[in-house]
Amino acid sequence: MEFLGHYQLYIVMLIVVAIWLGIYWYLFRLDRRLRALERKQQG
Amino acid sequence: MALRVTLGILLTLVLCAGIGFPLSQNPQHWYELPVIPGLEEKARLIFFHVPTAWLSVVAFLTGMVFSIRYLRKRDPLDDLRSSAAAGLGLTYCILATLTGAIWAKFNWGSFWNWDPRETSIFVLLLIYGAYFSLRSAVENQEKRSTLSAAYSIIAAITVPFFIFVLPRITSGLHPGSKGDPDGAGPVLQFTMSPNMRVIFFASLAAFTLLFIWMFQLRVRTGKLEMERELQQAP
Repeated sequence: MEFLGHYQLYIVMLIVVAIWLGIYWYLFRLDRRLRALERKQQG
Repeated sequence: MALRVTLGILLTLVLCAGIGFPLSQNPQHWYELPVIPGLEEKARLIFFHVPTAWLSVVAFLTGMVFSIRYLRKRDPLDDLRSSAAAGLGLTYCILATLTGAIWAKFNWGSFWNWDPRETSIFVLLLIYGAYFSLRSAVENQEKRSTLSAAYSIIAAITVPFFIFVLPRITSGLHPGSKGDPDGAGPVLQFTMSPNMRVIFFASLAAFTLLFIWMFQLRVRTGKLEMERELQQAP
């Protein structure tokens, strides 16, 4: 508990960065899937 | 690819710096942020709240540009781009409202105070909520596109008034309101140190890149849906 109290700012930062990386990964995968669908549509 | 990599790195750095850089009464190092009296740790919100509010304006105006193009050329792709921009604008507007409400709770004592800026963003949410109600209420595609394009242009004309004019000509709690000791001007005149300004503008750039990427994804998805509908049509 002392650790959490001491480094609460960095814990918040890590959680927010983890959420952002999750959103980034989702958008990245969506982009790749869309590109594959576009290629399929054209070919 | 360059856009995505730049965005990934930039927003990660902004999040780390905006949340992780320590506050100091007397900053000695480049990574120390000054303490703003009355705001303290709450000042960090400016790195995320202002870019979301700014992007909602950019998105609504982008929607207006494509609506004008639709009315001139009658290209369904312009209607798609206009609705995609309005949808993203509404999303960013909701994010700005939520982040602002959380900040208000800790700074002003309650989540909602009917401050002029809160009221104006609430009216904007209603205006753009009505835009999507209008789109879902009309079945004929051409009629829907024409009506929503006209509505989008009128709605976007109100955006600068609600975001930039009304909150500055009325007294309120929000920084930048009439009667603010720092002057009724842009919130950017907020006492920011050079390192805070770097994080702030990097955040604006990163959020703008995120908007561009999400806008492109939404338009490409809509385009694929349109092509599929055309192929399936008898």
